[in-house]
Order: sequence, then structure tokens, then C-alpha cells
Amino acid sequence: MMRKLKYIAFKEFRHILRDPRSLMITIMMPVMMTLLYGYAVNLDIKNIKLAVIDHDNSASSRDLINSFYNSGYFLQATKRVSLSDPERILKSGAANAILIIRPGFDEEIDRIEADPTAYYQNGEVYQLGVVIDGSDANVATAASSYAEIIVMQYVKQQLPPDLDIPGVSISQQVLYNPDLKSSHFFVPGLIAIILMMISALLTSITITREKETGTMEQLLTSPVTPQQIIVGKVLPYVALALLDGILILAFGVFHFGVPFTGSVILLFVFMTIYVIAALSIGVLISTLARTQQVAMMAAILVTVLPSVMLSGFIFEIKMMPGFLQYVSHIIPARYFLVIIRAIMLKGAGIASLWPQAAALVLMTLVLLGLSAKRFKIKIG
Amino acid sequence: MLRILFIMPLGMLLLLGYAVTTDVKRINTAIYDFDNSSLSREYVRSLSPGDYFITSAEYSPLLRVDQALKENRRNAVLVIPEDFAEKIDDRTPVTVGLILDGGNANTASISLGYASIITRQFNQRMLGIRPIISLHERKLYNPEGESVYFMVPGIVAVLLTMITVMLTSMAIVRERENGTLEQLMVTPITTPALILGKTIPFAVIGFVELSLGLVVGIVWFGIPFVGSWPLLYLLALVYLFTVLGAGMFISTVTKTQQQAMFFSWFFSVFAIMTGGLFIPIANMPQSVQYLTYINPLRYFMVIVRGIMMKDASLDILAPEAFAMVIFGLVVFMFSWLRFSKRIS
Repeated sequence: MMRKLKYIAFKEFRHILRDPRSLMITIMMPVMMTLLYGYAVNLDIKNIKLAVIDHDNSASSRDLINSFYNSGYFLQATKRVSLSDPERILKSGAANAILIIRPGFDEEIDRIEADPTAYYQNGEVYQLGVVIDGSDANVATAASSYAEIIVMQYVKQQLPPDLDIPGVSISQQVLYNPDLKSSHFFVPGLIAIILMMISALLTSITITREKETGTMEQLLTSPVTPQQIIVGKVLPYVALALLDGILILAFGVFHFGVPFTGSVILLFVFMTIYVIAALSIGVLISTLARTQQVAMMAAILVTVLPSVMLSGFIFEIKMMPGFLQYVSHIIPARYFLVIIRAIMLKGAGIASLWPQAAALVLMTLVLLGLSAKRFKIKIG
Repeated sequence: MLRILFIMPLGMLLLLGYAVTTDVKRINTAIYDFDNSSLSREYVRSLSPGDYFITSAEYSPLLRVDQALKENRRNAVLVIPEDFAEKIDDRTPVTVGLILDGGNANTASISLGYASIITRQFNQRMLGIRPIISLHERKLYNPEGESVYFMVPGIVAVLLTMITVMLTSMAIVRERENGTLEQLMVTPITTPALILGKTIPFAVIGFVELSLGLVVGIVWFGIPFVGSWPLLYLLALVYLFTVLGAGMFISTVTKTQQQAMFFSWFFSVFAIMTGGLFIPIANMPQSVQYLTYINPLRYFMVIVRGIMMKDASLDILAPEAFAMVIFGLVVFMFSWLRFSKRIS
């Protein structure tokens, strides 16, 4: 039995080697992708383009504008902006927000400096305006909050430090929890995503190719069972996908400096389980599709977007609507994401990760089982 | 095939449209209210509206609260001192402590921003205190801050891109693999005509996909459409032109369908990750930002969002349209050159 498996695996391996270009692609592309997207994925909103309409044109207003641009959050809008039409500025995307300084800002600052208690008396309020492009909700929220903080801080600076202002003020302390949302956090996730995509792609055509070229009948008249065919076909790709996994992991650790606090062997074992699960998706697709074209399109559609969006890679699963949280349970990347982050960043061991591993194993069995059954049905 | 082309993408759209949750909302806040007066409770209450802070009392010791942050059970902690009401009544300053989870630099700043505004309003309500200089904000387009409006058109564009590139790249390669390409070449058809003939069906499919996706977006997700439909379709045509060109180009540099698929996949992922869909391009390092200039999806995203949400007109979107045209022309030209070279 093992011998037959070996032969099928060997045959598949020869197929792979017959197309060196594809081989190069399957090795080079994940690496390139890790490099590129490791840098690209960055949720810290900054470089918000800010245009300024300054009707006051004083030292104080220029000071304020500088504190906006020096904050690191806002960038000066550079595209040809005609300040006479604020709406147009936002419409064209030349700026995400516009700061409007009405005349009289300098006078207000002088007034506060002369009599600090005037700052909070119930007098005429001078309002600075900010018009924000709300189309990207996240950037808009960030712009709004940052602007509020910057203005507040600027005005506070003009007041004497020992001034007693009645009312509530906030003393803020930020506790650093570097686990969340940084490149250390994203790169492991990226590894999981890339591995998933390439694995499914690799195996998606294994069976359909035989169907299309007509070699399927030959395969079936030989004394191998469908299970052996499927397992045999997956095996060479496990090696290939693992090779990819190791390469991009190496890049993650050595190039991006992601810490590796856990056990390498454990990660390797889990990675193998994950890769097999991902490959199984491709195999199942392969048994369902009639042409290679359809198989590959299905593989791409089914793995790329759901893996990126529903696995917890960028969007937190806990924040999603209930039904989507359920759906995320059938996405293998979800489990491996937890595993790889836990092992690399927190040094977790089998004790805390066995549920995820078990889920992946279960998924693999289901997928391969379904593939074998469909196989039998199609032929028998 | 029809299932793959239309049903699966639409199904995916319906699903994924709900997945986007990068909103900084529902900040799980632990409240330590050591005053427990009606004023302090009023302050906590003022944080609740608008779904920004989800407040609830926390009973674990304050000194251990960082554990709750590490485990991600809480995103923020608010500490109200026991003389809160007393000091407010005395009109002396009182400080509340806001402990924030700094893992995401974003969330911390944004939480502080929300809290500052709410506090300012509280002071005004309770004490008649108004800072003499304040910031008045006006949000244009999407004032409710719905991410869906922003994301769903993006997902539609992405699905459109993936499918069109895949189909187009496979089209010619399949002929080559099957050996029918030579037959085609001995017919009196010219190369441009061949290329056009092969890509037009996919353009049509692309249009249908786009329309279906937009309809789903508007009818199901309630996305506003304040701009011009004809303009959107005109620019969508240009975008399809670029995407078809990319697919065509891929088909000229690959020999097997499998290779074509890999390249299409690579291109699709590139388009998604650097198109400004989930991650604003401004967040990325400068070098990566330069790279996004060769991503046609980047321009189409600006166009779709601009037309749907901001009623942008052609003169405003001209730079993006122009960039797409250039991309399309370059890619088609290269394809034509490679194609002719291959045959001769």
C-alpha cells in the first residue's frame, strides 16, 4: 500500500519538475510577497493630508499649523489645491481634511496669555474649523481625534502650567502591549495567509489536469484506490509548501525581526498540519471542477479574499458580526494565525494550542474524505 | 463556469461586506469609580452614547488591570478618584485617569480624542465651562462613518479584477497549450484584431459583474450613490481596459495555464494589498507607496469612491483616469510587441 502511494507521489513530483518556471514562481513569489506586504500592512493611520485655509495669517496661526504638521499625523497637502473651494479639495482627494482658521485667532491667544482665566470663562467662543472627508471612516475618525488633541495641546501650551481650570481633565497613560497590531503581529499572519493561498493553488489542478488530459482513466484502471491517489498527489506539494513556509518564516525572523520565543519544532509540526489542510482545499476543488480554468479560479476566489478578511489577519474576528464569526471557523488560516502568533510572540506550547491543531486535523480529514468520495462518485 | 463567474463572487461580496471592522468603536472600557456619586455616574454615562466606549464596572484589583489589557478583554481603563464630585462642586480641577492599550498607536490616540471631546462637553454641561478656543468639526460624505460604504465598492472592484485578469490571461495561453494558436495565426486576422476579439467578451463579463456588484451594494448594503452613473461606467471601461491589458500581458509571458494562473494570482494579491482597500496607502512606507503607482486598482478605488460617495466629476478624477489610460496603453503595447515577436 505504501509502495503504491510512493509511486503516485513520485509521478506527481515528476510532473512538478517538468515545469521549472512554475516551480520558480511557487518559490519566489511567496518570498516576494512576504517582503512587500510585510512593509505594506500597517494600520497606523498617519500622513493624513491636511490643507489649511488661514484667514488669520498671524504668528500664532502659523504656530498652530506647524504643530499640526509636526505631529507626525498630518502631512501638508501638496497637490494643486485651490483654497477657494474647500469641497473640491476634499472631492479630489487632494486632502483628507481642511483646517480653517478664522480671523481673530492671534487675538484670542493674546487674550489668554494676558489673562489666563479668560480661557474658560463663559464668553464668546472662538472656533477653529476642521472639515473632514468622511468617505474613509477610519481615516476620518483618526483625523478628527488627532485634530482635537493637537488643538487642545497647543492651547494648553499657551497657558501657565499651574493654572487651575475647574472641571474634569484627563490624565492619560498608555500601556504598551506590543503583541497587538505591529509588524511583529502582522508578519506571522502574512505567513499564514500566503501559505494558505499558495497551497490551495498548487493542488487545485492536480486532479483536474488528469481529467482534462484524459489520463484519469489510466490512473483508475491501475490497482490504486482513490484514497491512495489523493494522498499520493498531495504529498509532493506538502514538501513544496513547507519549503515555502520555511523560507518566508526565515524572512520574517531575519529580515523583519519578528521574535521567535517558542519552539521551532512545534511550529514546524503545526505548519505541516496547516499546509496539509490548505492543500486539501485545493484537492477538493480539484475534484469538483471540470476544467483547470474553473479549478484555478475557484481556488483563487475561495482562498484569497476570505483568508485575508475573515481569518483575523487584519480585521479582528471578535469585532465581526456574529454570523461571520461562525463562518470564520471554517477558515483554516484562522487557526494557524492563532498558532503562529502564539508560538512566535508568546512562546506558547501544545497545552494551549492543541484545540487549534485539532481543528486543523479535523478539517483536513473532512476535506480529504470529501475529495475521495467525490472521486469515487465521478468515476463509479 | 457561470457559477464561478457570478454566483461565487456575489456570495463572497455579501459575506465579506460585513467583515470590515477596523472601526475604532466599541472600546471595551473598565470603569473604576471610586467616587460613586451621581456626578461620577453621570460622567460615565456621558461616555456611552454613540457606540464608542462600552463601559462596565470592573471588579478585579486596579493594580492588576494590565492583565485585562494584555488578554484583550479590555481596551481601556477609566479611573475616577473619590473626590470627583467634591472637586467639581468646589470648582477646582479634578483629574481622571485613562489607561489605554498602546498596542495600536491608532486606537490609543483615537480613544483619547473621543474622551477629550466628551469631557469638554461634560465640563460645559456641569460647570458652564467652555474653553474659549475650541475645534468645530464638520464631516462631509459619510457622516455616519460607515466602513461598509467604503469597503464594499472596493470588494466589488477586487472581485472584478481577479476574475477578469484570470480569464484573460488564460484565454490566449490555453490556445497556445492546445496548439490552436498556430491555426489562428494562419487565418487572415491581424494581431490587434485578435487581441481585441479575445478581450471584448471578458470586458462584457466584467461590466456585468460590476453592475451586479454595485446593485448588491446599493440595494443590500445601502451604499449611497450620489454621483454620475455614466461617468462611473465610462471610467470602469477604462479600468477594464487596464485589467484586460494586464491579463493579456500575462498571457504573453507565460507558457502554460498554470503559470498564467500563478501570475494572475500574484497580480490580484498585489492589487488587493496595495490598492488602498484595507490599508490606506498613506500608512505605507514611502518606497511601497511609489510601487502602488503601478497598481491600476489604486486609481479605480479613488474613482469609485469619489463618484459614489462624493459626486466627483471627470475634471476632478482626470489624473486617475489619465493614469489608468497610460497603464492600459503601455500594457497592451507590450503585449502586442511580445505577441508579434512570438509568432514571427
